[in-house]
Amino acid sequence: MRFARLPWLVLTPALIFVFVGVFAPLLMTHDPAVQDYTAILQGPSTAHWLGTDYLGRDLWSRIVGGARTSLVAMAFVLVAALVIGVVIGSVAGYVGGLVETVLISLIDIALALPSLVIALALMGVFSGENFDWLSDYWKMVLALTLAWWANYARMSRAVVVAELQQPYIEAARVMGASHLWIFTRHILPHVLGLVVVYASADAGALVLAIATLSFLGLGVAPPTPEWGQMLVDGMSYIEEYPNLVIIPGLALTAVVVSFNLLGEAFALQKVPRALRGRLLGRKRAERKAEDQARVSVEGQA
Amino acid sequence: MSEPVYAVEDLVIDLYTPSVSVRAVDRVSFAINAGETLAVVGESGSGKTVMTLGPLGLMPEGVTIDLRGSARAAGKDLVKMSPKKLSSLRGGQFGVIFQDPMSALNPMLKIGPQLAEQARRFAGLSPAAARAAAVSLLARTGIPDPEDRYDRYPHELSGGMLQRAMIALALAARPRVLIADEPTTALDATVQAQILALLRQIQNEDGIAVALITHDIGAVSVLADRVIVLYAGRIAEEGSAIDVLTSPVHPYTRGLLASVPDFRSDTASGTREIPGLPPDQTRVLPGCRFADRCPQAEASCRTKRPVLTCVGGNEVPHRAACPIVIRDEGLADND
Amino acid sequence: MTDSDASDPRPRDKAANSGPAIEVEGLKVHFRTSAGLVRAVDGVDLAVQNGAFHGIVGESGCGKTTLARAIVGLQSATAGHVRILGRDRADWQRANRKGFARSVQFIFQDPLGSMSRRQSVLQTLEEPLRIHGIGNAAARRRKVGELLDLVSLPASVLDRLPRSLSGGQRQRVSIARALALDPRVLLCDEPLSALDVSVRAQIVNLFARLQDQLGLTIVIVAHDLAIVREVCSAVTVMYLGRVAEEGAARPFFADPTHPYSQALLSAVPSPDPRVEATRVPVLLEGDPPSPLNPPAGCRFSTRCPVVIEACRVTEPQLRAVQHGGRSACHLADTSGHPIL
Repeated sequence: MRFARLPWLVLTPALIFVFVGVFAPLLMTHDPAVQDYTAILQGPSTAHWLGTDYLGRDLWSRIVGGARTSLVAMAFVLVAALVIGVVIGSVAGYVGGLVETVLISLIDIALALPSLVIALALMGVFSGENFDWLSDYWKMVLALTLAWWANYARMSRAVVVAELQQPYIEAARVMGASHLWIFTRHILPHVLGLVVVYASADAGALVLAIATLSFLGLGVAPPTPEWGQMLVDGMSYIEEYPNLVIIPGLALTAVVVSFNLLGEAFALQKVPRALRGRLLGRKRAERKAEDQARVSVEGQA
Repeated sequence: MSEPVYAVEDLVIDLYTPSVSVRAVDRVSFAINAGETLAVVGESGSGKTVMTLGPLGLMPEGVTIDLRGSARAAGKDLVKMSPKKLSSLRGGQFGVIFQDPMSALNPMLKIGPQLAEQARRFAGLSPAAARAAAVSLLARTGIPDPEDRYDRYPHELSGGMLQRAMIALALAARPRVLIADEPTTALDATVQAQILALLRQIQNEDGIAVALITHDIGAVSVLADRVIVLYAGRIAEEGSAIDVLTSPVHPYTRGLLASVPDFRSDTASGTREIPGLPPDQTRVLPGCRFADRCPQAEASCRTKRPVLTCVGGNEVPHRAACPIVIRDEGLADND
Repeated sequence: MTDSDASDPRPRDKAANSGPAIEVEGLKVHFRTSAGLVRAVDGVDLAVQNGAFHGIVGESGCGKTTLARAIVGLQSATAGHVRILGRDRADWQRANRKGFARSVQFIFQDPLGSMSRRQSVLQTLEEPLRIHGIGNAAARRRKVGELLDLVSLPASVLDRLPRSLSGGQRQRVSIARALALDPRVLLCDEPLSALDVSVRAQIVNLFARLQDQLGLTIVIVAHDLAIVREVCSAVTVMYLGRVAEEGAARPFFADPTHPYSQALLSAVPSPDPRVEATRVPVLLEGDPPSPLNPPAGCRFSTRCPVVIEACRVTEPQLRAVQHGGRSACHLADTSGHPIL
């Protein structure tokens, strides 16, 4: 769809993150969980490219592994939140009436609180005995999903309501189309078009949220490598070994920035720009050449 | 005859946007004199609006405009003028009526003060005199109870009244030229008739020049003294309204007029159509722009650009850019 | 498009009088808005004969578009009945929505808006066939080819998006789509108002030809009287939610009896300046009143140049007049002398 017109430069950082996450097992030089007490808190070397932490674990491999952890959790949450959001928003927008009123109230409540606060509260609920069958990891994914869907629901509803007012929907009705046909063929593509673009910018915020939960000791449990945890672990050594904090911090910042750039590029695509500079010069030259060619034909005749 | 109030000579206008470049106006000359109505007739994309408003600097945003040739008003060359000077000259010399009144009126301000402000700025009236002028303008344009309407917001007026208010606004600066860009297209038949009657009355009283940009032959027939028929950025035919509308020469004019049903004629001449579509404006090929749709086109039409040639007319020369019809029907008029 | 279409502009009424295709009885469409109750259509009776080319004319706000939309069920009626091809419209649509769609089609004023901006012309034209599960891919493709021929479009438009077509081409596509299901009744809401003059003529001739070829019943909502006179066999004039006058086109245009019809007709300028110079139009005062608050008695009484006292009290009913149609004016007697 619109990716084709995006400058590759903007897409690259986000793609690097996805690439690193997907191929993490191949990129890791060590097992990120293995502790090596003979090589604690080392600086960069040929054996450990980014050095090691206080348990002698390879920092490079933990960063790469952390990328995979973030990517997988993010993907689960985004897909689930997107599906829930699109379903609830579409039902609200398409059905209307009392159903819409109830669902909108639900969405408004969910949007009234910051997502992270909701996620934290849900993590608190999930820590009860009834949820022992869930691992901490899945508790986090579930909590973030439930904290994240509302934005997508709100957007989906807005698109559905706007599209339903388009005359071509009436035209489809006149042709005898069923509601299912109208929704799946005409409305859903528009909803997905917008929601997926939004999700691409939202991914950075989600990676940050995952790291935050882990930082607070709520999300991913050790020994799974995770950037938020690496930050916590590194905090104690920040004065002598700032690398332990700076490297995961930079990784996190880079991912957030790269997804934001991506979202920005999508948004800016719709802004028309006046023709200037070299492109205008080229078009003027084309015009002039055409004029000359014409005059030469008309002159002979 | 005294100097025309607005004259354009050998005007070429190129428009550039990121996706297309268009030769909108291609070597066109025209002049409007005080006290006359000149109708510029053409279909969408023919360049009629760009030709008339482009030299005044009134162009949509996001479009780069290249202008060559000369355009004169009030003894000054508009092409070389800075945008700021152009804007102040435009405000004082030209009044413009658009199809959509809301594009001219500020929805946040009351009608009357908008008129008064215009009169104060460009006609140099004192605030009190400007107010009085605004009220009398509202009355002149046929708005009932002008004192009351002075303090109304645009949204409180009906469509026909808004159209009148916009005409009043265009007249507030006491312009020498009134340019009406499709003034009646969006209106209902009975309101259309009212607005056309109003425009005619204004011109009779003020003796200002009116440029009527339209594709509505009926409106031309009601108002115009002279007509320019524009096709793909070039003048196909021009002359007095009677000459052009009753004895058209250019095949495009003939086709255009035949496609307008006249429901007073009992012969039911039928709605003739011009086959095909207007040419691609992004490329200007040699020869006549109408050749592809013309029933009388010959090989020479595709190589030689036809020039406007006099085919008659009394005070106003009747000229057409079609050597084929002129030759076949022996219309050349060389005096 | 061929010349033979152009040379046969006569109103077509050959199939008329073989029974009504559309019967509207006491139809009311009211909208509740923040400003109050809008009586868009307020008690309309209408009969469209089978095979007729019926024009509904009037100014904006007269309810002509709402009437057409209510006839096909795009607008729910507040009161009254619509029968199409002898069946109750509401029952028919409820029982067999697709069957109804195969018989009755609607063309929208804005061809661009009435097509999905994501679908190519091919997809747009195939959609009705796919909705109704007609034919396999090859058969559908063949049908699309026939439709293109019918509306004189080249096959090269098929993979273009509606946005990239010219106004006339878009309207042809929207007509072709409406014809894909071989309907018997076609309603068109201002199909010409977005088009240039010469293109308008192309589309008018297309409608006329299609009716000849396919024997359709066509209802066209328009504000351009000259066009209606060119092609229509019957005319209904609406004013403020009511029918002012109706009749067969030729006699009606020769001898309109309602002062509003007369004003409407006289407002149309002649393209001939010599005729124009001698024309004395009936200039109506002001704009039509708001359908929020229609005047008492005759709805036209506030603008009527020949209003009498009775007009402000009693609402005139439609009654037979000289030209063979009916007129809702106290002064339109059957002797047929024009009022103005």
